[in-house]
Amino acid sequence: MATVCSNCVMDTTDSMIVFDENGVCDHCNNFYEHTLPNWHTDERGQKELDALVAKIKVEGEGKDFDCIIGMSGGIDSSYLTYIAKEKLGLRPLVFHVDAGWNSQEAVNNIEKLVDKLELDLYTEVIDWEEMKDLQLAFFKSGVSHVDTPQDHAFFATMYKFAEQYNVKYILTGANLSTECVRNPIEWMYYQSDSVQLKDIHSQFGTKPLHNFPVTSILRHKLYLPYIKGIKVVRPLNSVAYVKEDAIQLLIERFGWQPYPQKHFESRFTKFYEGYWLPEKFGFDTRKVQFSSLIVTGQMTRDEALEKLSQPPYDKRTIAHDFEYVATKLGISVDELQEYMDAPNKSYKDYKSQQSIYNVGAKIMKMLGLEVGGKR
Amino acid sequence: MLRSRVIPCLLVKNNGLVKTVQFDQPKYVGDPINAVKIFNEKEADELVVLDIDATVQGRDPDYDLIKNLAAECRMPLCYGGGVKSVEHFKKIISLGVEKVAISSAAVHEPELIARAAEIVGGQSVIVVLDVKKKRFGSKYEVYTHNGTQASGLIAADFVKKCESLGAGEIVVNSIDHDGTMCGYDHKLIEQVRSAVSIPVTVLGGAASLTDMKNLVDRFEPIGMAAGSLFVFKGKYRAVLISYPNQTERDEVVIRKRI
Amino acid sequence: MISIVDYGLGNILAFSNIYKKLNIPASVISTDQELQHAEKIILPGVGSFDWAMTRLNDSGMRDTLDHLVLEKKVPILGVCVGMQMMAKRSDEGSMDGLGWIDAEVKRMDTSGEKQGLCLPHMGWNDVSPVKGSHLFSRLEDDARFYFLHSYYFAHKSEDQILAQTNYGGEFTSSAHLENVYGVQFHPEKSHHWGVQLLKNFAELS
Repeated sequence: MATVCSNCVMDTTDSMIVFDENGVCDHCNNFYEHTLPNWHTDERGQKELDALVAKIKVEGEGKDFDCIIGMSGGIDSSYLTYIAKEKLGLRPLVFHVDAGWNSQEAVNNIEKLVDKLELDLYTEVIDWEEMKDLQLAFFKSGVSHVDTPQDHAFFATMYKFAEQYNVKYILTGANLSTECVRNPIEWMYYQSDSVQLKDIHSQFGTKPLHNFPVTSILRHKLYLPYIKGIKVVRPLNSVAYVKEDAIQLLIERFGWQPYPQKHFESRFTKFYEGYWLPEKFGFDTRKVQFSSLIVTGQMTRDEALEKLSQPPYDKRTIAHDFEYVATKLGISVDELQEYMDAPNKSYKDYKSQQSIYNVGAKIMKMLGLEVGGKR
Repeated sequence: MLRSRVIPCLLVKNNGLVKTVQFDQPKYVGDPINAVKIFNEKEADELVVLDIDATVQGRDPDYDLIKNLAAECRMPLCYGGGVKSVEHFKKIISLGVEKVAISSAAVHEPELIARAAEIVGGQSVIVVLDVKKKRFGSKYEVYTHNGTQASGLIAADFVKKCESLGAGEIVVNSIDHDGTMCGYDHKLIEQVRSAVSIPVTVLGGAASLTDMKNLVDRFEPIGMAAGSLFVFKGKYRAVLISYPNQTERDEVVIRKRI
Repeated sequence: MISIVDYGLGNILAFSNIYKKLNIPASVISTDQELQHAEKIILPGVGSFDWAMTRLNDSGMRDTLDHLVLEKKVPILGVCVGMQMMAKRSDEGSMDGLGWIDAEVKRMDTSGEKQGLCLPHMGWNDVSPVKGSHLFSRLEDDARFYFLHSYYFAHKSEDQILAQTNYGGEFTSSAHLENVYGVQFHPEKSHHWGVQLLKNFAELS
């Protein structure tokens, strides 16, 4: 029986969780002590945002677009696209990475936003045969973070494009409002760790990674921002972003289609977060998402506990979803079940650059460059 | 009232979806299974999937792929590519496909149309003709092997033969308009449509629903297939699957009578 | 339990996939023995009349099917050629039909003023059911289904009509007599409209 935080709903399925004398966890305490004081959504946030927007506009003068927005069709990136065009007056290129798992809602949402906001769209389609092989390699490795190939590809592709076309600003929908409490690395190890990706690939992959885009933490935290001057910015942190209001607005204004849970715009991620993680490892990412909403006042703890009492996947459709994932990966349902039943491994079982991440995180926090939650 | 059909046409090459321009410069579009699933969720009228490598490479249809695609379709599916025998027809239909298309095989062995129709029924035997306008005159010539081999056959004449042999539908694909999004070739459609009384579907050049509406106004009922229109978006030809919803389609697929 | 008769024709997989997704038990039946205990039957069909009748007669299931339908009054849904087979005969072929409904199958008329009519009738068309039909319940007014045929079910009496469709004139797109139901269109390939109809059939008491 897991011990649950008395303030949010994180619990001891995060094996690194620490509770204070009031039973409040370190995720919450980190938020109140470190994140909240440095998170400005009022006039200070507006000032920061105005300054940023001015820089982006100057940078984009005479060009077809002044920034790129990483767009998945999910709530965060969709709302960001709307804000960027209508509220901030930017001229973004909407940038979508197709990893082969788009849901119908995702493509509908991208289409609606691009059309109604009259924006240009650029899509990079990942080589599906290589993506499939890499995803299968991750399943075979037994680690929890089997969604790394998708995540890694998203960022690597965007950086590559930005560097190639000299785009200085990448806008992402990452935000504190719904993500201030973050997935522990035990649940989701750093997707940008190329050493781990390559090690798992070399052990379990069968196809060389010719077309698959690979990036690395040093490349995108040091080289790109400091040498090439390419910055990743998170404008949703400077506005009052209330998820339910944002969803309503998008539905009414654009015909945006919602889907059951955060990140479910990708069919794979729906399987990953809704079934693979909770069933195989006992990691329920809803706890992370709801805890973010609790500390930001968008959900009560009781509401969260009520939702958590239901399984994270739909019992009526899970067999069908399971079969679809197996079919897409070119394996049988039995083989996928074997991977589900195999012993659980972690990122520690494979090579990694974790030490660099640890050092980097400390430095960023010291310099006040990182106000996010603990990993 | 019978509606004209709005039909996405997907091309498969090396297990992946591609889109061509005038049958050249294939651009990678992604995984076929997920694309078909999305069209199914958008409740597309019908779907055509053509394996453009099979005949050129001299290989059989990819049965695993066909089975996986059929499993995602709750609308009729037409499959073509590498089909050369009645056995192929039977096997593909048993995997859950309603219609099987032949192209080169129809040109080189037209009697296959009759033999297949006898077993699976004419409604499941579809002849796909890739055509190019002849340099002189107004007629169109049928090509095979991905538009590389001229057959010497005139489209408007050959479709009559296909009909007499029992074909259920003709799909006429304009090589000149392929991937250009410059509109359908009305002259071509006129010639083929007036030559037969079996259903005709046209492919090549669609740029908008207005192109389709114009076709319905003139030729209803007619099958309207498109590739680029449903797969690309905007000036960068960004890959994004789209398809009109029921309301948008109803505006187009029945000629409005005043 | 829905029994889907596999006699070598028709999109069996499509029917079983739909019922699987609806969580309604269904199984594919290809032998006489398996058919014996059927409670509700689907008879799919694609292709020509004679070919379908030959395959059904050769399947070893014909006698049991007749017994279940005519004597035990097991509900059965014939689809496309499966529906046409329920009639006595067809213009398309020379073999006898199952004869469960006193009707004939005729070729759609393309003579005279109907000369421009394309055959096969191919595509999405409206279906107007008679009032109160359980098979068509919960289907909105603009329900449409996918048709693919050149011959139609020529009913002999009005009370056999369950639904009509217009193509060169009204024809019977769904027929019914006691426990025997037929649909000319393909519910297994008609998106959510077809799924609803198949669900309705499963829920018929």
